[in-house]
Amino acid sequence: MALCEAEKTFILHSVEENFRIDGRQRGDYRPMELETNIVAPSFGSARLRLANTDVLVSVKLEIDSPTLEQPKLGKIEFFVDCSANATPDFEGRGGDNLATEISNCLSSAYKSSTAFDAGKLCILKGSKCWKLYVDILLLECGGNLYDAVSLAVKAALWDTRIPLVKSVVVDGNKVDMEVSDELFDCERLDVTGAPIMVTVCKIGDQCIVDPTTAEEHCSGGSVVVAVSKSNFSTILQTGGGSLHPMTLLESLKLGQTVAQRLDSTLINTLKQINDNSTDVGFLK
Amino acid sequence: MPVDLKRINGPENTVSYKLYTPSKTFKEELKCLFKSNNKRQDGRNSLEHRKMFIKTGIVSQAKGSAYLELGNTKVIVSVFDPREIPNKTDYSQKGVLYCEFKYATFSCPQRRNFQQDSEEKQNSIILKQSLEPAVCLHEFPNFQVDIYALILENDGSSLSAAVTCACVALAHASVPMYDLVTAVTMGVVDNQILMDPTLKEQQLCEVFDETDTKSDHGIIVTSFMSTHQQISQFYQTGNINLENISKSISISTDASGDIKLLIEKCIVNHVLKGANKSNEE
Amino acid sequence: MEDVLVCIPGQRLCLCDKKHISGQGTYERQGYLYSQLAGLVKIIEKEDGVQLIEVHSTQDQGLVPQQGDLVTVQITIINQQFAKCAIKCIGDTVLSRPYRGILRKEDLRATEKDKIEVYKSVRPGDIVLARVLPITEAHTYHLTTAENELGVVTAHSEGGHQMVPISWTEMQCTKTLVKQHRKVAKVLPEKPKQIVT
Repeated sequence: MALCEAEKTFILHSVEENFRIDGRQRGDYRPMELETNIVAPSFGSARLRLANTDVLVSVKLEIDSPTLEQPKLGKIEFFVDCSANATPDFEGRGGDNLATEISNCLSSAYKSSTAFDAGKLCILKGSKCWKLYVDILLLECGGNLYDAVSLAVKAALWDTRIPLVKSVVVDGNKVDMEVSDELFDCERLDVTGAPIMVTVCKIGDQCIVDPTTAEEHCSGGSVVVAVSKSNFSTILQTGGGSLHPMTLLESLKLGQTVAQRLDSTLINTLKQINDNSTDVGFLK
Repeated sequence: MPVDLKRINGPENTVSYKLYTPSKTFKEELKCLFKSNNKRQDGRNSLEHRKMFIKTGIVSQAKGSAYLELGNTKVIVSVFDPREIPNKTDYSQKGVLYCEFKYATFSCPQRRNFQQDSEEKQNSIILKQSLEPAVCLHEFPNFQVDIYALILENDGSSLSAAVTCACVALAHASVPMYDLVTAVTMGVVDNQILMDPTLKEQQLCEVFDETDTKSDHGIIVTSFMSTHQQISQFYQTGNINLENISKSISISTDASGDIKLLIEKCIVNHVLKGANKSNEE
Repeated sequence: MEDVLVCIPGQRLCLCDKKHISGQGTYERQGYLYSQLAGLVKIIEKEDGVQLIEVHSTQDQGLVPQQGDLVTVQITIINQQFAKCAIKCIGDTVLSRPYRGILRKEDLRATEKDKIEVYKSVRPGDIVLARVLPITEAHTYHLTTAENELGVVTAHSEGGHQMVPISWTEMQCTKTLVKQHRKVAKVLPEKPKQIVT
């Protein structure tokens, strides 16, 4: 996206006036749409549309053995796919850097046990555990990828149903398991602590959340905060700029409050989805 | 993980013998963190930085290079001449930094692979983002400066050591910069802030106690440009509350200022040496 | 050696006003001049007491081809429209890393541009003297040999023997006596006076 100086100045002034180019205030989000349980072969899935940003997340489960260092923990891995559908910039290996950045950020945000309890994924200490493959597909890029991805991941994990393990028999070195094949014989994951990421973007002297692509281009630097409950699980500066310590602290505070607000909204929405589960197709 | 066909790889699935030695529980380890006189195992206070040694001009083939010792952590960074950005078809107004962060295979208790793993890739990205705001990228449009950081020995805080060392190497390579970048690692464990943690302390901050989920733990790496009072990168992992983070910001910016004095001295020495040499000629 | 001013990147040098102008190796921020490099400060006095502040690194600067530079290149690939080449030297300095350059057909010589054929002017492997054209948005350096002093300096025949120029457009192999077309440079003796005496 190419912006001329006049357009940049216009965006700068709009942020200054607390009346952004699409009419929002500095702390406002764009409208979101959320669907869960839309990919049939996966154990949990969600699609989130945040204005022009569209993310599809699917969770697959497989049985693995835990690492020797952490025999009591299950595994969770994030894969981000920047398909060239989203923007032509991702053609070839163009999106690889962004994909590693997002997936690394997600894995470090989910690493802490307070954010995500991997111990629940353990079936038998030291020999069997669940491994969660979280596949994130970017369908369309309209700015603010981190936020959209984290919300969609949380919704998909909330939607995930883990089949019940009926029995585990240890016979010498061999472990025998029986997993239920019944459709409704499953349990949900506890994702109340799953972190929500918020990108706080500094434009001029002000900080905004949920920047559009145009606003991202005018930013002098941004901070991605992953907030789990009320604590920070990951902070990362992106966008190639630098921030004054005071600005950084202010953006962290803003990010924290916004993340908590988002989190409660998301959980309420997810509960509603559960209540009136009428089938809605992928493209409606 | 793609298989490395160029080298003979060691047998797969080997593990360190440390896993089978009697290990202490988290609580016991935590007690060992401080000695009776409230000092850390190596005799430092909780907010004391380790001693640092810096030298420039280590790699003669590179345009600029620096070597840094931070306690037992040893880093070499080399910076190469700008070259054209490979595989690029369009013209870019700004130059590009290419950073590679690598642990030597023998640098950690557990042997590392020759290929970059995900931690090293993440550190490469952070190294790049820490340096980018400080380098005058518009001075070399359409060119790329390569920065290679190699950790010879990892005794904690290796990322911040690499950032500081890379900054000295960039200055040595006379790459135009707005300011010097210095980085500090802070570890948080059991609601205590530890500056410049050793590997042992860093591992305690990363691993968490499952029984006690209330206490904060985590690692913070702050890269700071002290002349302009700007934080170029702030990277945190773990689970830390706002209060501890704001405390860490002020502590690490102060510490960065102290480190800057040190690397200033090193760079000035290098300049004077160069000036003397050209005078003699 | 007493009055040298050493500075480091990001060091504040002085106020930036009408009397002090930012020069090479410095930048201006919020009314002050700062250094970009680790090196020595050089103050150049200009007319009306204006001072130009420059910072010079003790190390030699990385050399990048500039518009108008005389460069020595080796031809790598030719086709109907242009010849691709690797820039090996700028002036007298040998580069540690070659830069990519391009010699378009119409820049090969100054006259009869419509009749130029690339393969009659340069061949892969030739060492050519060229000048850098204004740098456009393209990512390679455009070069020209449209001057008498510019063109092929050293060439080898198909047999791999040295060729010598026999006219402005032809070179001949010393062993096989095969003649080939080239855009030959009129190489000026470096110190003409010595040759006269």
